[in-house]
Amino acid sequence: MGVKRSAGLIFGFFFPLGWKTGKTRALALLGLFPVLLAVVARVFLRGRTGDMSAVFTEILMVFFLQLYIVILSLFYGTSVVAEEVENRTLSYLVTRPVTRTAIVLGKYAAYALLMFVMVGVGLGVSFFILNAPRLGDPALYLTFLRYLGVLGLGILAYTAFFTFLGAFLKKAIILGLVFGFGWENIIQYFPGSTQRFSIVHYLKSLLPYRPAGIVGGGGGRGVALLLFRLEPTSPFLAVLALGAIAVVFLALACVLFRTKEYLYEE
Amino acid sequence: MAVIREKGYAHWDGKLAERRFPWWPIARSGIRLAFRKKAFRLFFAGGFLPAFFALGGLYVSERLEDFKALVQSNRALLRIDPGYFKTFLVNPGFLFLVLIILIFAAAGLVADDLKHNSLQLYFSRPLTKQDYLLGKMSVVGFFVLALSGLPWLLLIVFKLIFAGNLAFLAAYPLLPLSIIGYSALLTVFFAFYFMLLSASSRNARYVAILVFTTYIFSDVLSGILTGIFRTPYMGLFSLRANIQQAGSFLFGAKPPLAVPAGWSFAVLGAICVLALVVLDRKIRGVEVIK
Amino acid sequence: MTAVIAADRLSKYYGNVLGLNDVSLEIEEGITGLLGPNGAGKSTFMKLVTGQMKPDIGTVTVSGRRTWNDPELFRDIGFCPENDVFYEDMTGLEFVAGLLRLYGFPPAEVRDRAARALDVVDLTKDKDRLIRGYSRGMRQRIKFAQAVAHDPRIVILDEPMSGLDPLGKRKLIRLIKDFKKEGRTILVSSHVLPEIEALTSRVVLVHQGKILAQGDIPFIRELIEAHPHQISVRSSDPRALAARFVGDRSIQKMTFGPDGRTLVVETHKRDDFFGRLTGAVLEGGIEVEEISSPDDNLQAVFEYLVGK
Repeated sequence: MGVKRSAGLIFGFFFPLGWKTGKTRALALLGLFPVLLAVVARVFLRGRTGDMSAVFTEILMVFFLQLYIVILSLFYGTSVVAEEVENRTLSYLVTRPVTRTAIVLGKYAAYALLMFVMVGVGLGVSFFILNAPRLGDPALYLTFLRYLGVLGLGILAYTAFFTFLGAFLKKAIILGLVFGFGWENIIQYFPGSTQRFSIVHYLKSLLPYRPAGIVGGGGGRGVALLLFRLEPTSPFLAVLALGAIAVVFLALACVLFRTKEYLYEE
Repeated sequence: MAVIREKGYAHWDGKLAERRFPWWPIARSGIRLAFRKKAFRLFFAGGFLPAFFALGGLYVSERLEDFKALVQSNRALLRIDPGYFKTFLVNPGFLFLVLIILIFAAAGLVADDLKHNSLQLYFSRPLTKQDYLLGKMSVVGFFVLALSGLPWLLLIVFKLIFAGNLAFLAAYPLLPLSIIGYSALLTVFFAFYFMLLSASSRNARYVAILVFTTYIFSDVLSGILTGIFRTPYMGLFSLRANIQQAGSFLFGAKPPLAVPAGWSFAVLGAICVLALVVLDRKIRGVEVIK
Repeated sequence: MTAVIAADRLSKYYGNVLGLNDVSLEIEEGITGLLGPNGAGKSTFMKLVTGQMKPDIGTVTVSGRRTWNDPELFRDIGFCPENDVFYEDMTGLEFVAGLLRLYGFPPAEVRDRAARALDVVDLTKDKDRLIRGYSRGMRQRIKFAQAVAHDPRIVILDEPMSGLDPLGKRKLIRLIKDFKKEGRTILVSSHVLPEIEALTSRVVLVHQGKILAQGDIPFIRELIEAHPHQISVRSSDPRALAARFVGDRSIQKMTFGPDGRTLVVETHKRDDFFGRLTGAVLEGGIEVEEISSPDDNLQAVFEYLVGK
């Protein structure tokens, strides 16, 4: 069986399984928090359009970009390999006629889609609640798609990185937390090109930036908090870099998983 | 006459000698288990870096003449008073460090027992639920005290040694108590916080995520609510802000939120009570499968 | 007959700990029992055979193909792991059917095969229950079902009977024997001799990572018979008791325990000794407090074989 078909079969195994776990439900619930917040904002900030847009760009996008997708990717990314080893269920997978590469790719794809749905629902509902008066404006939908695309790319890149960490280390979660919430946050304060050694830099570079003072597209007046000290990379290069990060770390994870022996802890 | 005796259990009718600290073996094994991990030892050592930096500051403050050029613009930073200690201890970075180290050492404290069905083994011994919880919490306590208590009390001693007199202690006699109080606050809160979340899943990796997400999320939530409602009381939703608020109070410094520090103590206390209630229900010798 | 599973100078180390040491072995069609105490290296051998581990030294092949990173080989292999682990959020049917899908069977065939496998292990009625709610016996059975659902030619069962009640064991033994009749190769591990004995007469004895012996059960029995039995008798006057046996030629050795109340006898004819002991007790008025046989188990045979 080819890798593509095998990966598809693994995807079919883990995608429905992913939805059934209590952990997914809890994390999905967290993703609905912005919806609740959007409702609260609409009630309390009635008539303050600029403030409402700022709630999305300054608060909700920060939540999605710097907390939610990092947490999701960290949990699901490290789960791709570490979960099988911790739960000792790896024996069931590696004794089937599917390659180890397909196991990593299939499970990665299943979890990435799972996360994308969770993020997409939360983002979509909260975005359109906050921009309800402008639902007839086509630019609004383009802006939404751009935000969704940024978060989707973020999920792909972060998850690939954490999949690699999970395949490489036993305690990947600690290093993942330090990377996701330490390195990714402090790097913007470093001088020169240092900020390019992070994933979040390329994601921020792709945000639908609006110069301060101009309201449009539902994106609000820029995204000041997210763009703080940002020296953006061009969108083309940013997409390329994120794609490369995803491909390289996923390939490394596959190579590791093919060659490394995973012993269960007694 | 020959008798072939039955080989079986010998019933013992004596009185069980009660140990004074039945929780101690649990605590000891938890601490030992953490130190068995090489990576943990590295992180734990890293936890003392702030204390080393502070020690450097203390030294420089006593040798201002030697470091005149260096400290000209940073004189305020080198004023050694309770605020100096507060700057290091009641600091989001320091709390992040403590959290990471505790995730390493304590995320699996209860989760691993649930995963391996070990609770029934614990409770088939002369051990009460309180002993079990105390033992596990002592693991958290050990690491928090090791990072936030002892080295900072030692720094006071160093300050006195560097100065060659007791003037510092005479000027700030309550500082040791502030450090002890703050360290105790962190110990109690983190012990309950970790136990609560560790008992919520069988998967230590998930607990680690949960501990961190809850901590960060509370911060994000409070930021959002503060933005919407424009009142500092929304800061009380943040675990970090509450710790900082209570910590500032203990060090006699200006609190970061414009609300009475008592509110933060109440919030942290409420979380501990909630944890106690949940733990009382969760920690059982018999597993109920639904 | 040609070997289905072959190991050649196979060794596996866990850091400094020896898992398997220089094992050369050929396993043919039919049932073969892998017998050894816990930690002997049985599971390590099975993990090497099923490609979950790679050998440090030597080779292991199934049907002439090396097992590490050869997934196509697993169309022919069914593996039942020792650990009591599952995807707990799945139902029994989802578990078996989900793993069957990984073979690329069409959906209808997956359904048929899963239903058949669940029927074989008597779990049809409980197929829609979550595995986390299964009893230990049910979990063992569902594990067996996933190992055989794809109709493999080679079935590898790691301690399949642990946790089963006597009735469950009997059923599983019958199932495994039925599989054998269909011309398959079955490798079963256990540390309990009677379990293996009920399945097959072909046994491989593993101890401390080495193959100690390979052969039929009667051969193993012979080894046990050839091995002098130790019998420990605690009595009020062990020396008087010993005096009564000094002339007995079936007794090879007599020693006194450190407590001064125990006589330890080594004999090839255990039953004869017990007969004479009863007589001695009744005639001589010697009070016997306890009789035990410290070496009457598989471990003792292993120790005997390694010359301890």
